Amino acid sequence: MDGLVSDFTAQPPSVHNPAHGRQAGMTEPATARPLVAISGLQVAFDGVPALRGIDLTVQRGEAVGLVGESGCGKSVTWLAALGLLGRTARITGSVTLAGEELLGVAPATLDRVRGGRIAMIFQDPATALNPVHKVGRQVAESLRLHRGMDHAAATAEARRLFDMVGIPDAARRLHAYPHEMSGGQNQRVMIAMALAGQPELLIADEPTTALDATIQAQILDLLRRLQAETGMALVLISHDLGVVADLCSRVGVMYAGRIVEQAPTDALFARPAHPYTQGLLGALPDMVGPRRRLSAIPGGIPEPWNLPPGCAFAPRCPAHTPACDLAEPASRTAGREHQAACLHLAPATVPA
Amino acid sequence: MTEGVANLLELDGVSRVYGSRRGFLGASVAVRAVDQLSLSVAPGRTLGIVGESGCGKSTTGRLALGLETPSQGRVRFEGQPMPAVGSAAWRRLRARMQLVFQDPLGAMDRRLTIATQIAEPLAIHAIGDVSERRDRVAALLRDVGLRPDHAARHPHELSGGQRQRAVLARALATDPALLVCDEPVSALDVSIQAQVVNMLTDLQQARGIAMLFISHDLKVVRQVSHSVAVMYLGRIVEQGDPEAIFAQPAHPYSRALVSAIPVPGPRRIPRIVLTGDPPNPADRPTGCAFHPRCIAAVAVCRARTPELLPTPDGRMVACHIVHDSNRIAT
Repeated sequence: MDGLVSDFTAQPPSVHNPAHGRQAGMTEPATARPLVAISGLQVAFDGVPALRGIDLTVQRGEAVGLVGESGCGKSVTWLAALGLLGRTARITGSVTLAGEELLGVAPATLDRVRGGRIAMIFQDPATALNPVHKVGRQVAESLRLHRGMDHAAATAEARRLFDMVGIPDAARRLHAYPHEMSGGQNQRVMIAMALAGQPELLIADEPTTALDATIQAQILDLLRRLQAETGMALVLISHDLGVVADLCSRVGVMYAGRIVEQAPTDALFARPAHPYTQGLLGALPDMVGPRRRLSAIPGGIPEPWNLPPGCAFAPRCPAHTPACDLAEPASRTAGREHQAACLHLAPATVPA
Repeated sequence: MTEGVANLLELDGVSRVYGSRRGFLGASVAVRAVDQLSLSVAPGRTLGIVGESGCGKSTTGRLALGLETPSQGRVRFEGQPMPAVGSAAWRRLRARMQLVFQDPLGAMDRRLTIATQIAEPLAIHAIGDVSERRDRVAALLRDVGLRPDHAARHPHELSGGQRQRAVLARALATDPALLVCDEPVSALDVSIQAQVVNMLTDLQQARGIAMLFISHDLKVVRQVSHSVAVMYLGRIVEQGDPEAIFAQPAHPYSRALVSAIPVPGPRRIPRIVLTGDPPNPADRPTGCAFHPRCIAAVAVCRARTPELLPTPDGRMVACHIVHDSNRIAT
């Protein structure tokens, strides 16, 4: 598979399609503004809040992790940003891609963004692929849609993408159906399909959760390599703190529809500031060292229609005081590029 | 503590072969889901079984319970051979050993209340009268950390963690000596997973239950197990003390598996990324089944299946390379 990798690096700029104005990154400094900026994003389904004010930026080429437990809103954030939530969702706030607003724009505009400038892959590749079409045809379809290729060009490009994502015997595998391939290989097909639109941002929603440990390691390695080669930004959504630590330079921890802590990965794991993050890390069994009783977080995640007043984590929090119940705590600085939404940030974590 | 005590559960050279047809009219192929596997569980102890999908770990659990009949080999429970599935003796034995699955919602009847479901095994095995059963259900709910008012609820009214607690309460109703847990916490969120793992270890200490703990999650297995077996394609490739195996895995597959676990913080063992997919049990490589993906494989690995043999540090490993280097070292 390595031979084709060099193939790709030999022609990187050609992957950009000028028709879509993708050269933006070249004409403006990368640091001028974030690739994606989400601010004050709120989502409610039938009046029940799912997201309660998300502020998050993704810089070009950066790998950001979003962790949290079921129902915390880590997937809804991106489904809302891409207009994939349907009519029952009430969405407010702002999501910009290179400065252009995405919320509330015409479907035709979004269609060029989705699968093009921003691609998304999901947990279960077997259900995301169409079982009655050959995988090569599914990738080629994406190439025709987003890059206007004809049949021959799309087939050749699909083959190149298969090689790039490490599918052995790519030419033959183009003609396979999803059920003829393993879960890991199907996830590679999904990634190839995502790359077909030459995305500036790839959103990977639990991409390895359904895979075995050794296959998960392969896919994480692949994502890391592709990110380095193509320079695309990556948002990795996962419940697994280890997976996020593996791939991302910055992590956001979500709880009950908010980002409660955001920090560079090393700082987050070395000096978690929010009691929820501390609780999550304490609840993970260790792989080495003495075995200790796990410090489980008591209670369960609050129902979105029955949120406690003030801080949503307060009823489970060991540092809980009456002040926590008065209002939702604002984000405070807990270190360099490190914010946490908690009234009781440990003094040691606040920079002098 | 359990030294010298007879084993509760013993599998001796057990194989399970399924017939599988390739295509609609294809010839039948023998698939060895479990291949000449031997293991034992002492009373009150936990044996963890780890491995990837298709390695035969769930089949091993079903063989242990007598839900599958071995094609070869013997399963013994409390020193006695496993009675035939469905026989009266087997039914009586089933009260002594229970199974907990990954998906608690699938394991429960959605139309029955939690209390009714927990009381069901008591009714099936004719344990106690109605009022005794009611008291016992209340005690079980308390033991697994559920409130009395949960008794009258239906499964969909509980959270995932609470459901798994209810499934455990039902499994404990007949006071079993052995619990086979097949991925019991894999579907739960991290914070809830820790609660259930703690509860399992507490219950084991309080009741002296033996456990066969099957999981793909090495961190959880290390947390609960007294001994651990790593399976690959139907066979145990390494077995022994979890501290030793997870800190310094000897078999090349265990090494890759341990190194693949993403951990927050610095990595102790450099990651070994295996090439290729886990092999198809219907198309088993010759010799050592792991050799096509093994970085250390030599000619003998393709020719001869390695036996599970003790190493000087007291674990069991099935690898030609490991035993050769030990022989040279001594």
